[in-house]
Amino acid sequence: MLKAKISEIRAKSLDEIKGSQDEKKLYAIKVKYLGRNGELTKILKSLKDMEAEERRSAGSIANQARQEIEKELQKRGKDLDNQIDWKKEKIDVTLPGEKNEIGSLHPIALVYREIEKIFSSMGFEVVCGPELETDWYNFTSLNFPLDHPARDMQDTFWIKSPKEKMVLRTHTSPVQVRSMEKRKPPFRIIVPGRVFRNEATDATHEHTLHQFEALMVGDEVNVGHFKYIAKQFFSAFFEKNVDIRLRPSFFPFTEPSFEFDISCTVCGGKGCPSCKNGKWLEIGGAGMVNQNVFTAAGYPRNRYQGFAWGFGIERLAMMKYKIDDIRWFESGDLRFIKQF
Amino acid sequence: MKYSYTWLKELSGTKKKPQQLASLLTMRSFELEDMKTEGKETQLEFSILPNRGHDALSHIGMAREICACEGRKFKNDFLRFYLRMNHGMSVDIKDKKLCFRYIGAVIEGVKIGPSPKWMQERLLVSGVKPINSIVDITNYVMLETGQPLHAFDAEKTSGKIIVRRAKKGEEIKLLDEKAYELNENDLVIADSEKALALAGVMGGFDSSITGKTTSIILESANFNSTSIRKTRSSNNIITESSHRFEREIDPNLAGMAMARALEHIRKVCGPKINIKAMTDVYPKKIKSWKISLNTDYVNRLLGEKIAISKMKNILGNLGISVKVAKNILKCEIPTIRIDLKSQEDLIEEVGRIYGYENIKEQSPVSAVETPPENLKRNFESELRDIMAGLGFSEVMNYSFYGKEDIDRCGMKEDSHIEVSNPLSSEQQYLRRSLVPNILKNIELNLKNFPKVQIFEIGNKFCNDKGEYSEGTILLGALADGFAKDALFSKLKGKLESLLDKIAVKDAEYQGLNAEYKFWNPSRSAKIICSGKKIGRIGEIHPQVLAKYGIKQRVAVFGLKISALTETKLSKRHYEAVRKFPSVKRDISMFVGEGIKYSDIKKKIHSAGAKLVLGVELFDIFEKAGEKSLALRIEIGADGKTMTSEGIDGVMKKITTALEKELKVKVRK
Repeated sequence: MLKAKISEIRAKSLDEIKGSQDEKKLYAIKVKYLGRNGELTKILKSLKDMEAEERRSAGSIANQARQEIEKELQKRGKDLDNQIDWKKEKIDVTLPGEKNEIGSLHPIALVYREIEKIFSSMGFEVVCGPELETDWYNFTSLNFPLDHPARDMQDTFWIKSPKEKMVLRTHTSPVQVRSMEKRKPPFRIIVPGRVFRNEATDATHEHTLHQFEALMVGDEVNVGHFKYIAKQFFSAFFEKNVDIRLRPSFFPFTEPSFEFDISCTVCGGKGCPSCKNGKWLEIGGAGMVNQNVFTAAGYPRNRYQGFAWGFGIERLAMMKYKIDDIRWFESGDLRFIKQF
Repeated sequence: MKYSYTWLKELSGTKKKPQQLASLLTMRSFELEDMKTEGKETQLEFSILPNRGHDALSHIGMAREICACEGRKFKNDFLRFYLRMNHGMSVDIKDKKLCFRYIGAVIEGVKIGPSPKWMQERLLVSGVKPINSIVDITNYVMLETGQPLHAFDAEKTSGKIIVRRAKKGEEIKLLDEKAYELNENDLVIADSEKALALAGVMGGFDSSITGKTTSIILESANFNSTSIRKTRSSNNIITESSHRFEREIDPNLAGMAMARALEHIRKVCGPKINIKAMTDVYPKKIKSWKISLNTDYVNRLLGEKIAISKMKNILGNLGISVKVAKNILKCEIPTIRIDLKSQEDLIEEVGRIYGYENIKEQSPVSAVETPPENLKRNFESELRDIMAGLGFSEVMNYSFYGKEDIDRCGMKEDSHIEVSNPLSSEQQYLRRSLVPNILKNIELNLKNFPKVQIFEIGNKFCNDKGEYSEGTILLGALADGFAKDALFSKLKGKLESLLDKIAVKDAEYQGLNAEYKFWNPSRSAKIICSGKKIGRIGEIHPQVLAKYGIKQRVAVFGLKISALTETKLSKRHYEAVRKFPSVKRDISMFVGEGIKYSDIKKKIHSAGAKLVLGVELFDIFEKAGEKSLALRIEIGADGKTMTSEGIDGVMKKITTALEKELKVKVRK
C-alpha cells in the first residue's frame, strides 16, 4: 500500500519535472514533493512510527525515490539554465552598424594603381624620378635646343638656382634619359609622376598635373608595337575594346612623333556628345625615340629603336569617374575625396 | 594659321570639299583647329607643328602638303622666277650671323590706295586686316609664300640701308605707335642716321607707308631665328613676321617673295612704277643637302612593309628628289624643308603620308621576365592602404606656397627654393614642409566635417645653403573636437599601429627642440628608430593654427619615406609561440613631475631583464593633484612555468628599482 503510494509519487513528480518550463516551476515541484511538508517528506517522516521490518523495506524505496527525484530536479535545473530566451535576444537587424572610420584614397592614386597593375602585367618596370629637375634632363638631353620655339610648347616654372639651370619638370620624360643611363636595352619601363606647367588654372587647366610615361627600347621596337601595347593598355583600363588612332605631331624627343587618340569610350566610335561626334578622344603624345636622345644617354647612334608615350592622369581619371572640373584634384576637399 | 580654302584650292588643284580637306590634313599633316564658312569662302585654321613653321605657314606650303597627301606633285609657275639686279642701292649687313640675306628694292611712282577687293577678301579670311595697297601686298605675299616682307617710305630714309645691332638704349617708335628702348641683342634695319625698323619683328612708325608715299624701299630678308626670338620675347611683341622668322625660314624664299611682290605691285599700282634699284646681299648661299635613306630601316622602324616605289613617290610628291640605288633612297632635300635632317625625319614623312592607320598592330616579341619591383613605390602604396584603414583620407596638395605661409609657420625664407616665374605670390616657393598646405585643407574641411583625418604622400624641397634636395614625406593629420586634450595620443595611437604594421619596431619619441616653429613645444616629438630620426609627431602651435583660422587642436605626424624604406627592411619572421604560460601582473604608481613613461618602461625592462615579456599602460588618472599610472606587466620564462614566488621576486625587483631610481611611488 505504502510502496504503491511512493511509486505513484515518484512517477508523478518525475513527470512534472520533465514538463516544467522554468526554474520557478521546478522549485515549486521541489517544495511540493521534497519540502518540509512535501508529499514524499511526509511519508519519510511517518516511517519512524512503523514496524522495523516495514520501515526498512519502505524506507529504502522512499529514499531511492527521493534520490531519484533530486537527481532529476538537478538535471532539469541545468537544462533550464542552458535554455536561451530567444525573445529577449531579438534585435532589429536593419538598424545601421556602429560607425567605423575608413579613409579614401585619392582618385589620382587609384588611377595610377590601375595603370601600374596593367603595365606590370605586361612586364614593364615602374621607375620614378625627381620633380625638381635640371635643364639638361628636362630639355637639352631630350633634344630641345637652347632658345628653340619647341621650348615654348611647355610653359615652364624656372627655379632660382645658384648653380645649374633648374626647372620643375614639365613632363615625366626626363626619366627617359635617367633610366637609359642605368640600363642596357632591351627594357620596358613606365614612369608615373607629378609634373608642372606654368599656366593659369580653370576647369580644364591645372599647373600641377600627373603624368604617365611608357618607354620600350630594344633592337627592333617599331610603330606597330606601340599601337599594340597602347591598345592592350586602354582596352584593359576601360574594360572594353578600344581602338588607337595616330596622327602626325612633333616632339623634339621623338621622330616620328604622334598624337594618339582612342575610340570614344562612351559610344565606341559611333559618335556621341562625349566625343562631340568626333568618335575619337585625344589622349596623349607618343613617338619613336629620337636617336639624339639615345646618344644623350650614351647609347651609340642607330643601334637601338624604341617608343615613348605619355599622357595625363587627370584626363583619364576625369573620364573614368566623370569628374567635371580638374581643380577638384588638388582641392584637398573631403567632400570630393570621400567619394572614392 | 588661318588659311583660305579657295586660295588653297586654286594653288593645289584639290577637288575636295573643305570638310574632306580638313579630315585628310588632320590625319596626314596638321590638326584642324577651327573651320568657318561664309558664302563661297571657308576659313580653315590649322595648328602648324613647331618644326613645320619653315614651310607650312604659307598657302603654297599647305598646297604642297595637300598635293602630297593626295598623291600628286605640287606644280606652280611661281617656283620659276627671275630678279633683275640694278645696283643703285647700297645695303650693308653689319652682323652676318644675324642676317643671312637682304634683298632691297627701291620702287618709284607708287600710288597708295586700297588694294583690290579679291586681295582684301583673302587677307581677311587669313585673319589679316587690309591697310593699303603696298602693305596689303607685303602681307599677301607673306601668306602666300611664308616670307615676311616690309616696305619703307623711301623719302623718309636717308643714305644706305644698314642691318646692325641696336645701340644700348636706342629708342624707336614702332608701327604699334609705342616707343621701345632697345639693346645690343636687338637687330635693327637702319639708314645712315637712325633705326627704321626692328628687324623681322615690326616696322618703324616714322618710315611707314602713308597715303602720301610715292616711292618705297621693299625688303625681303632673312634673319637669325634665335635673335628674332630673343628680341620679340624681350620686347614682348609677337607679329606674323616674328612668328615665322623665329621658326627659321629658308633664305632662298626671299627671292621668290620679292618676285611675287613686284608682280603684284605692277598689277595693283599700275604700269607707271619704276624699279629704280635692287640689291641682293646673300653672302652664303644655302644649297640643298642629301640624305641616304635605308628603305629597310624605314620598314623596321614603322613595322610595315612599304614598297620602295611607294616610298619614292611619297618623298617625290613632297618636293624631294629621290634616286633609288638598290635598297637605298638617295634624297636631295629642298632648302625649304629645314626640318628634314636625318633618316628618321624622312621616315616620318613616309609614315604619315602612307597613313599611320595603315600600320598594323603587332605584339612585341621579347623574353618573358619579371620586371624588378619599385620598392619605394610599392611601399608608398602599402602606406596608402594602411592609412586608409586607419581612417585617413588622401589629399594631394600643390608643391608651392607663398611667403605668407613661411611667415605664418615661422619658417625661414632662405631654406626654401624659389620659383623664378611663379603664377602668383602664393606659389612663389617650393614647399619645404607639407604642413602649411595641410593646415589649409583642415581649415576648409572643418567647415563641413566635425572631424578631419587626412594624409598626403608628397615631395618636399629643401634648400640647404644653395644645396637643393627633395624627399618624399608621408604626412598624417588629425583634427577632432571630441578628442579634446587626448588628440596627440589619438594620433600617436594611429601612428603606432602604422609603424607596427610596417614592422618598424622600437620607435622612440624624444621631445622636440623646435627647429620648425610651427610645432607646439610642449606636445611634439622626434621619432627615432635604431638611432635614426625617421620623422616627427606633434600638435601644431596654437598661434600658427589661429593664423590659419583653425580654432581647435590639430595633430600631425610626418615620416620620411626614405628613412622608413631603409629601416623597415627588417623582414618579418616567425617566432616560436611560447610553450610555457606567462602571467600578467598589474602595478600602479604615483609619478612625480617630469617622469616620462618611456623611462619607467625602460626601468621595468632592465630590472626584470628577460623575464619581462611586455609592458602595457592601461590607465592614467589623477588623484589629489598626483598623477597615477597603471601598468600591466607580462612575466614568463623560457623553458619552464614560473612559480608564484618567482614572479613575486621579479615584481619586487621591479618595484625596488622604480622607487629607488625614479621618482615614483608604487601603490600597494
